[in-house]
Amino acid sequence: MAMESPLVQADMVESYEFQELAERYGVGGVPHTVINDGLGNVVGAVPEGYLVDEIRQALGQPAATPGD
Amino acid sequence: MPELLNDEIKNQIREVFNGLDKPVQVEYFGKENDCDYCAETQQLLEEVAALSDRLEVSVHDIDVDAALAAQYGIEGAPSFTLTGKEDGHLVDYGVHYLGIPSGHEFTSLINDLIMVSSRKSGLSDATREFLKSLKDPVHLQVFITPT
Repeated sequence: MAMESPLVQADMVESYEFQELAERYGVGGVPHTVINDGLGNVVGAVPEGYLVDEIRQALGQPAATPGD
Repeated sequence: MPELLNDEIKNQIREVFNGLDKPVQVEYFGKENDCDYCAETQQLLEEVAALSDRLEVSVHDIDVDAALAAQYGIEGAPSFTLTGKEDGHLVDYGVHYLGIPSGHEFTSLINDLIMVSSRKSGLSDATREFLKSLKDPVHLQVFITPT
C-alpha cells in the first residue's frame, strides 16, 4: 500500500526489539497492524479489502459498499 | 561474524532475484552502541544485496545522519527503508523495517525487494483507487515477532 501512495508509510516492526512501541499499542497476538497511532487496529492476517475498510474507518470515511 | 545465509539459501534467492527489474537501494540506519541486532541486520542486508546487481545497501548512523533519518520518518535502529533508484535519485516508498527481518519476515523482505524493484504493488484495482484518493496520511505499523 505504501508503494501506491506517497501518503502511506508502512513499518514492519519487530516487537521484541521495539518492545516499548509494542507495549504502547497493547500488542499481544501478531501480526497486529496499528493504523494511525491506534485509531484503528487489526489483529491477524486479513484480506486486502478488510484492511482498506479499517483504514477508511480510522480516517472517518464511510465503509465501502457491502460485499466489496 | 560468520555468514548468515548458507549457499543453498543464497542460490534460491539468486534465482528469484533473476527477475529483478529496476534498481533498489536499501537505506539502512544503525548505531554504534546499545543496539543488539544492528551488526546482524547490516550484515544480513549486505549478504542479500550481494546476490543481485540491482540491489545496493547504503549504511547510515542514525545519530550522525539524524536529518536523513527524520526525512524518511525513521526513529529507531536497526531500521531501513527500501527506495527505488531512479536516474541517480532515490524514491522513498515508505516501506520500512524496524528490527532484524528474520524468520517469516526474511521472506517478506525478499518479496518487498522484488515488489519495489518491479515498482508494482500487486494490489487490486479497487485498493489502488482508494489509495490514490487519500487526502490524509496513513501510518501502518505491522507488529510481528521473529519466528
